[in-house]
Amino acid sequence: MEIIEENQSGINIFKLNGRLDSNTSQGFEKKIFQAIDDGSKNMIIDFKDLEYISSAGLRVILKATKALKREEGKMMLCDMQDYVKEVFEIAGFDSFLPIVGSMDDALQSF
Amino acid sequence: MAKNKVSFKLKSKLSELDTLCEYLERFGQSLGLSKKCIFEANLALDELFTNIISYGFKDNKEHTIEITISHKNNKLIFSIEDDGLPFNPTKAEAPDLECTIEECKIGGLGIHLAKNLMDEVCYQRCKEKNILTLKKNIKEAEPAKKRAKG
Repeated sequence: MEIIEENQSGINIFKLNGRLDSNTSQGFEKKIFQAIDDGSKNMIIDFKDLEYISSAGLRVILKATKALKREEGKMMLCDMQDYVKEVFEIAGFDSFLPIVGSMDDALQSF
Repeated sequence: MAKNKVSFKLKSKLSELDTLCEYLERFGQSLGLSKKCIFEANLALDELFTNIISYGFKDNKEHTIEITISHKNNKLIFSIEDDGLPFNPTKAEAPDLECTIEECKIGGLGIHLAKNLMDEVCYQRCKEKNILTLKKNIKEAEPAKKRAKG
């Protein structure tokens, strides 16, 4: 999996490309928590090019969302394929994670 | 012509998830299944396989997990066989989905996803092996699109 990091007006953007599973979730966790350690409070995860996610990926997103909440920051998730969004819904995560349609919507929420 | 059945063996290590994905994609594409359907089957098998290799073996030896995928009467049928500790995922406790973010725990989520993405999940313990049989209903496979004439 490829992770592209960008920064836009103080918001850390992570663009995920490929498969987020038990093999790749550790690398993703490391990157996100490095950014939190470096003081990042606002994040957007861009799912546009993500083909696959398993519970290992959900675990990292949950953990990071909790960590950001403690820092009074927030994480937005955007541009998911329908079948990726369905995984968040089956897991019940859509009730507490902010999932929006587009990157613009995510940026405007800050 | 599409084959109706494929069997393969995976070693008890996480890197085999890529092998699982390759087999499923090849099988799914040969039947003309949608991306969504292949994704859901992949996710269910991933979660159950990951669960087996994470909790199923107490020794440090390498084990083999045998997977069979078949297609019959608009159903996909999967079986997963392992020689690990007895474990019946159909009896596993469901996670609390009404929880708040603070209370939310990730345990049990993988099995919950797998059960939801399949139409039937059946467990047997037979000859020191766990045998899981999963069934997923699929719509009639769409024939390859004909080129517009003229």
